[in-house]
Amino acid sequence: MLKPILLVEDDARDLELTLVALERSQLANEVVVVRDGAQALDYLSRQGDHAGRAEGNPAVLLLDLKLPKVSGLEVLRTVRATPELRSLPVVMLTSSHEESDVVQSYELGVNAYVVKPVEFKEFVAAIADLGVFWAVLNEPPPGSAKAARRYE
Amino acid sequence: MTAVPSLAPDLDGCADEPIRVPGAIQPHGRLLVVTSAAGALVAHSENWADRAEMDAALAALGLGYASWPDGEGPAAVGSVAFAGQLWDASAHRSGALLFVEFEDAATDTGTRAPIYTLARHFVPALQGARSITGLCELAVAELKRLTGFGRCLAYRFDEEGHGEVLAEQCDPGYDRYAGHRFPASDIPPQARALYCRNYIRVIPDADYEPVPLRSLDPAVAPADIDLSMAQLRSVSPVHLEYMRNMGTRASMSISIVAGGRLWGLVSCHDQAPRRLSFQSRSACEHLGRLLSLQVEATEEHAEVAKRLELRQLTLQIISQRADLDATLLGLASEPVPLLRMAHATGAAIVLNDTVRLVGDTPRLEDVLALSRWVANRGGESFATDRLPELFPDARPWRQTCAGVMALSISQVHRHLILWFRPAVTQTIQWAGQPLKDVRADGRIQPRSSFASWRQQVEDRSLPWSAAELAAALELRQSLIGIVLRRAEELAEVATELGRVNKELEAFSYTVSHDLRAPMRHISGYVDLVLEIENATLSERARRYLTHVKDASAYSGRLVDGLLDFSRMGRSALKRSRVDMAALAAELVREFTRQDSGHAIEWSVAADLPVLDADPLLIQLALRNLVANAVKYSRDREPAHIRIEAVRDGHGEGVAVVDDGVGFDMKYVGKLFGVFQRLHQSDEFEGTGIGLASVRRIVERHGGQVHAEGALGRGARFGFVLPPKKEKEKS
Repeated sequence: MLKPILLVEDDARDLELTLVALERSQLANEVVVVRDGAQALDYLSRQGDHAGRAEGNPAVLLLDLKLPKVSGLEVLRTVRATPELRSLPVVMLTSSHEESDVVQSYELGVNAYVVKPVEFKEFVAAIADLGVFWAVLNEPPPGSAKAARRYE
Repeated sequence: MTAVPSLAPDLDGCADEPIRVPGAIQPHGRLLVVTSAAGALVAHSENWADRAEMDAALAALGLGYASWPDGEGPAAVGSVAFAGQLWDASAHRSGALLFVEFEDAATDTGTRAPIYTLARHFVPALQGARSITGLCELAVAELKRLTGFGRCLAYRFDEEGHGEVLAEQCDPGYDRYAGHRFPASDIPPQARALYCRNYIRVIPDADYEPVPLRSLDPAVAPADIDLSMAQLRSVSPVHLEYMRNMGTRASMSISIVAGGRLWGLVSCHDQAPRRLSFQSRSACEHLGRLLSLQVEATEEHAEVAKRLELRQLTLQIISQRADLDATLLGLASEPVPLLRMAHATGAAIVLNDTVRLVGDTPRLEDVLALSRWVANRGGESFATDRLPELFPDARPWRQTCAGVMALSISQVHRHLILWFRPAVTQTIQWAGQPLKDVRADGRIQPRSSFASWRQQVEDRSLPWSAAELAAALELRQSLIGIVLRRAEELAEVATELGRVNKELEAFSYTVSHDLRAPMRHISGYVDLVLEIENATLSERARRYLTHVKDASAYSGRLVDGLLDFSRMGRSALKRSRVDMAALAAELVREFTRQDSGHAIEWSVAADLPVLDADPLLIQLALRNLVANAVKYSRDREPAHIRIEAVRDGHGEGVAVVDDGVGFDMKYVGKLFGVFQRLHQSDEFEGTGIGLASVRRIVERHGGQVHAEGALGRGARFGFVLPPKKEKEKS
């Protein structure tokens, strides 16, 4: 079974459009949606509402930069600081062009950084590219859930 | 060495002459030197008849020894008769020796009761005199009246020791010396020192045969006996020669000592021998002391008054500054106080390479050269009255600038105020050449002395006084105060600007995030509707929705462009060498590939420059210009676009020329503004940010943009960047 894509998005319209885009990219991966940074961390560490979920990290984390409660950058920092999550691919999705965000994201070890295009066609294309690259093509680093499964 | 300076510039050895111990006296009197303890005879002049005469003279005086005060001038000790006449005696003690001088009692040709007349006439008049020259005029008149000498003159020494005649009283038949100047070398240092100790010197007859001293004590040679305070002391033969050349038989000089230094001399001359009694000489000496006191007081008063006046001028200058703009150049707009505060004939204000000249000054380029030289010396202020000696380049300009006083206002920049004074000989020549026809016989005489003085001060100005320097420094303090205050104000503005900039930055961030999202949503949902409901939509609905989509896409681009533009202004420049030829070729290839939908004939000049610029930004600037040219020439078939080099006084750059729709030159000022567009948006697409970005990029490089065009006849847009700055000298 394919590992899910974890999408963290607080804006309902962005969420809907992103889901449409992911749908159109024809990815088979399940998409798990959480609405803020705290939920994202709960999911990743299997705590709170997500304490009962199955083990294993998602294939990729699509993370909005501006999130309620815990911001995208803070989620990224926690992910990189947690040994079990450290190798999780993280793609930052944002409206912002701001340079300091880009620099900070890369400093915190983001794998990709995507400014959501205004044009819907471009948006679909960008999301599809991301999904395909990180969920299908990208070979996760050793030690991630997928690699570990090979030894099962 | 007395009354008139011993003008002997060409006579060697003058300074070595042993004037205090000549070993001889003048013949108009007799001298006995005895021990101050017991009155035992040590030496005598050789004009005594015999030992008995000396002993009788001493015995008749009946001097009390031992208690004699040491180091004071001669005091009258009574009259004695010997050798068939009456003698006035005076005595003074110098260490272990007592000097007793005898002079003919009946020789006075001066006024009776001189001290009394001095007190009655001179002192009240002295109190009324307000100027130094006035004091000197009173003094020479009174001296002439007291003594009957044919010519009396007073002169003052400057800092260098050069003498300047201030006042003169002459009988007919005497040469006049008013306005005359004598070089310092005319009076050797040991003579000056003696003038400070002994305030009066009299030579009754220059045609005298010195009377040698004879010592009775083998341990004391005549040439060891110090005659500094002796009234009969024999003077230098060189001086006697000078007196004869001047036609002077008798002379007297009285020291003016002020502030502990030899300030000047009052000299009296007569064409005939002239003797003065001890009483008359005492009166003259008193006059000298009174004059000294009054000169000192007047000078101090003048100094205080001058400082006050200069201070007021300084305040006047400052108060004008305070409410004008901070630039020092404005000082030149009020030249009168500026020149007066330094008693200068010219001034210059130098701000790096900008100069304002006031009054008589060297040429602009000379002032600049001088300012560099002065700035290199460092320090807050600098003043010299002999610039050509220190800075030989200045020699040709000594007519306007032999002396300079400079203030440095900034330690970082070459910000100077300079004041100029002409050579002092120039000043004297304005006043008129003194003494045109003095007789030319004799190797030493006043005429050659004046010439010698001229030679010595040829490259010099009048010296800058302490008061003037103090006023200048005060001006500097005040100006720096003003400059600092401006700097503080500027810093406040800068802080405020920084705050506002940060706010703007935060605002644009918000715009980026918050405005882009709704645009994206509109665009996305409209797309979805168009896609999903395509079959059920009417043609009109589809058209409307397409407009909505286009509009949101356009505002998205607008927001993106605006953010790019603001980022362009904030990011740091990373300069390197940018070959504009390569850049242009690459852009032409790119635009050719893009296929703008119309034929373009490109031409790129072969001589495009290599610029020192940020490669990414300058590429963006050129791209914007080329894109504009392509866009606005699309109605031409084929269009011609040319990229050419620009070289002018500001530097090097490129220009892009097209033969498109052009623009009306009356809108040229609006072209480079943000969101300024000259065409309706359905005519030519665009956000109105392209040229604003070009200007921002170019101006951040310190360059300039330019545009020329005519409606329907194409346009030419270009920019120049300044040449690469040389590394500043450390």
